[in-house]
Amino acid sequence: MIFSTLEHILTHISFSIVSIVITLHLITLLGNEIIKPYDSSEKGMIATFLCLTGLLITRWIYSGHFPLSDLYESFIFLSWCFSLIHIVPYFKKRKNYLTTITASSTIFTQGFATSGLLNEIHKPTILVPALQSEWLIMHVSMMILSYAALLCGSLLSVALLVITFRNIFYSSKSNNLLKLNESFSFGEIQYKNERNNIFQKNSFFSDNNYYKAQFIQQLDYWSYRVISLGFIFLTIGILSGAVWANEAWGSYWSWDPKETWAFITWIVFAIYLHIRTKKNLQGANSAIVATLGFLIIWICYFGVNLLGIGLHSYGSFTLTSS
Amino acid sequence: MVVEEERRSSSSSLRMGTNNDFFNSGSAIIERTDGLVVDLLQFESPIYQMQCRQGEWRWTAITQLAHHGMLYVPIGYTFGAGMFKMDSIRGGSPYGAGVFSGDGSREPSEKELELAQHQGKYMAMIVKRFDSKILHSSTMETLLTLNPLKPQTHLLKLPNFPIYPRISTHRCSFSPISCKLTSQPSKDTTNSKIVVPGAAPSLSEEKEPPAAPAEGSRRKDAGGVVVKRLTKKVLSFLANLPLAIGEMFAIAALMALGTAIDQGEKPEYYFQKYPEDNPILGFFSWRWILTLGFDHMFSSPVFLGTLILLGASLMACTYTTQIPMVKVARRWSFLHSANTIKKLEYSDSLPKASIQDLGVILSGAGYEVFLKGPSLYAFKGLAGRFAPIGVHLALLLIMSGGTYTATGSFKGSVTVPQGLNFVMGDVLGPSGFLSTPTEAFNTEVHVNRFSMDYYDSGEVSQFHTDLSLFDIDGKEVMRKTISVNDPLRYEGVTIYQTDWSISAIQILKDGEGPFNLAVAPLTVNGDKKLYGSFLPIGNADSTNVKGISMLLRDLQSVVLYDQEGKFAGVRRPNSKLPIEIDGTKIEIVDAIGSSGLDMKTDPGVPIVYAGFGALMLTTCISYLSHTQIWALQDGTTVVVGGKTNRAKIEFPDEMNRVLDRVPEINQPSDVICG
Repeated sequence: MIFSTLEHILTHISFSIVSIVITLHLITLLGNEIIKPYDSSEKGMIATFLCLTGLLITRWIYSGHFPLSDLYESFIFLSWCFSLIHIVPYFKKRKNYLTTITASSTIFTQGFATSGLLNEIHKPTILVPALQSEWLIMHVSMMILSYAALLCGSLLSVALLVITFRNIFYSSKSNNLLKLNESFSFGEIQYKNERNNIFQKNSFFSDNNYYKAQFIQQLDYWSYRVISLGFIFLTIGILSGAVWANEAWGSYWSWDPKETWAFITWIVFAIYLHIRTKKNLQGANSAIVATLGFLIIWICYFGVNLLGIGLHSYGSFTLTSS
Repeated sequence: MVVEEERRSSSSSLRMGTNNDFFNSGSAIIERTDGLVVDLLQFESPIYQMQCRQGEWRWTAITQLAHHGMLYVPIGYTFGAGMFKMDSIRGGSPYGAGVFSGDGSREPSEKELELAQHQGKYMAMIVKRFDSKILHSSTMETLLTLNPLKPQTHLLKLPNFPIYPRISTHRCSFSPISCKLTSQPSKDTTNSKIVVPGAAPSLSEEKEPPAAPAEGSRRKDAGGVVVKRLTKKVLSFLANLPLAIGEMFAIAALMALGTAIDQGEKPEYYFQKYPEDNPILGFFSWRWILTLGFDHMFSSPVFLGTLILLGASLMACTYTTQIPMVKVARRWSFLHSANTIKKLEYSDSLPKASIQDLGVILSGAGYEVFLKGPSLYAFKGLAGRFAPIGVHLALLLIMSGGTYTATGSFKGSVTVPQGLNFVMGDVLGPSGFLSTPTEAFNTEVHVNRFSMDYYDSGEVSQFHTDLSLFDIDGKEVMRKTISVNDPLRYEGVTIYQTDWSISAIQILKDGEGPFNLAVAPLTVNGDKKLYGSFLPIGNADSTNVKGISMLLRDLQSVVLYDQEGKFAGVRRPNSKLPIEIDGTKIEIVDAIGSSGLDMKTDPGVPIVYAGFGALMLTTCISYLSHTQIWALQDGTTVVVGGKTNRAKIEFPDEMNRVLDRVPEINQPSDVICG
């Protein structure tokens, strides 16, 4: 009883803190950068992280197994991963652009988990025999961690695309569409804008465009680094899952829907990394692939569970009307 | 014509031999030697000595080379009286040594040789004087054959007279290599040769044709050339990046389709689900599915073919693109000019610093540092360049292991009631043409006991099977209790516990028995299992037979219902507690379970596991970023610059942190060297 109340409390605390933090972020975005709310929002995220950790540990002790056995627990774990990704750069004293994305992702996943849609599986359940293995910890946690990282990276790419297209539409209102092709590489945007800066100080958009181009490039690099980190985790997760399957059922790959979709996700992000090897294809093209990857991750994580079949049916659920 | 040059450290001398068609090929020379010459001009003294035929072409040649800004050293009459002796036909003039070779067969005469020897000596002396700080360039000699009659050219010949009082001797071996001019040599001696085809190139029959600087002077017949060219074309086609990306997309799309379409069903199922008169998207009906093999997508020819194509692309890409890139990345050189350093991605200058301090700090930060004089080169993370090759190779390993599994393994599954046995060979079925049964297939497997564990809430927590293996002589070779996630391995065959079932109930009826009643599984929605049994009361052969029904969810308890179907009671097996239903006394003695076993032998597993491990490792390593840093001591300032290939965001911060730690030197120091 104690544990479940404790759990309740922790869930609610983390949820509310994160919503406060989001609100603060929005205020800072709309207004100028006010340092104080920024700092307190960082502290708020740390508090959220601690609450979520406490939540997971409580569940662990209460149910006797690592808290990753069904969809609700994996969602909580996912939001924990998001908050982890959020605070790691904070401790390395490096300001980054991920903060808005990770904070909002944390709250969305947590909110979805605690919402009425998944009411029936809030309670900690027991593990079926197939899940009673050490591999559970390694495989599932790696997968969820990779989902978190890849989602962050793809969201950065989505942001990049949004800004790029808005940039193009604003700066070439009178120009014809041929310019769209040129504007796709950062080098060109920067070069053009640098020239604009030097020669035409009268244009209103020139300075803005230069900073925007810089920002886009930063987004691009961040997205690349985060996605490659997520790719490593995804590789390890898929492969440890295959080894576990071999130990448990005798076949390391049985074209289970979830396995197949995880492999599809892996392929799509491998395409992203390969596109980035060519300089002229960087930028918008790779961002489009990363956006596709974002959708595919959701299909893999969530959509397959809706089918409810296959070896991964532990995560399945039925949407109840609340 | 042949141009040979040998350099030692920073001095070089260049001997160029030409033929009489020289003025036609002058532009060719300038083209070909342009890089070399520009390079040479960076050194102190390119000395040029030309040997050419007596006659009108000599100044044309010289003026051509004036374009290069080279110094020309004639011998004049320094040879002495021998130059005036015309008692035999000889080549050579104040401009330089030479040979009349006729049609190429005439060997140099003694006089010509002497003149050539003198030229060499004279040249060495000039060079030495000119650049006395460094050494001696002992130069290699080239002889030219001049042909006054035929406009035929070339060749190259090795000096076959070892005449010089060399400061150091060597004979260069004659393999024409393609000379890639790096910006500055990092090694001390470079010995390279540029081979330039003459303007009227009919290739000679000599041993070393001055072919285009390519692979070497192998002789190939026509067929070999065609094969080689075809291989090159195929390789470059396969290693094309957009093709590889397209293949990956195709595989992803096929897999997605494979999950959307139900696999392995009967054709009637597809007729019904994808009817022809109402096709999805206007065209997709069962015909598409069955002809393309989408009902068994993951073993269909389309899918496997795309996989094979991807494998070929992987191999081609590794061979043609990745390996050369690694070779390029490994080569490095010092940068000697502060301006070049300042143009790098990240650059900074530290006033009042010493480059040795920087070197020490960098090596503390994990870089490999090379320090030579005033310049420094450091790098880190070179493994990050090698790792993508490892990724490709690991993927190929996995694919080959998977292929071996698909063609060479055995698998089978069986449900065995407690107490019964089976022979492995009866259960295992081959999967492909490489499957060969082993001796272990004659083993008999005996299920001694099947049991289940339960949680307090009544759910199943684990199930176990106690197995004994007997070999063909009846001797027990192994005994193990397996459970889920804990299989039995014997001589390459692995037995997994995957499922369970109930096979029979043993009951006592009215004190008689025990009778075994068969138990059948009942289909219920959801995951829960339900088994049932039936004990007929009265005439068992009548059509409307009534009896006692028994339902079991697991081996823990039996629920009994009377003839009307009303709930009668619950009994545990082995509780020795009878129940009275409709006048019959039933006692449940035991519920006998059966074990669901999966068996498999898979020779491809070690290969696949090795591939997995390699893939995990190499993927992690390829996260590393290859960072290179150059620095130059410019007076009291150290100019630093660097670049990195992956971690472009973190790099400036890291560099700032490193540079902050370089100590500032306040007094004019003796540490700084030139």
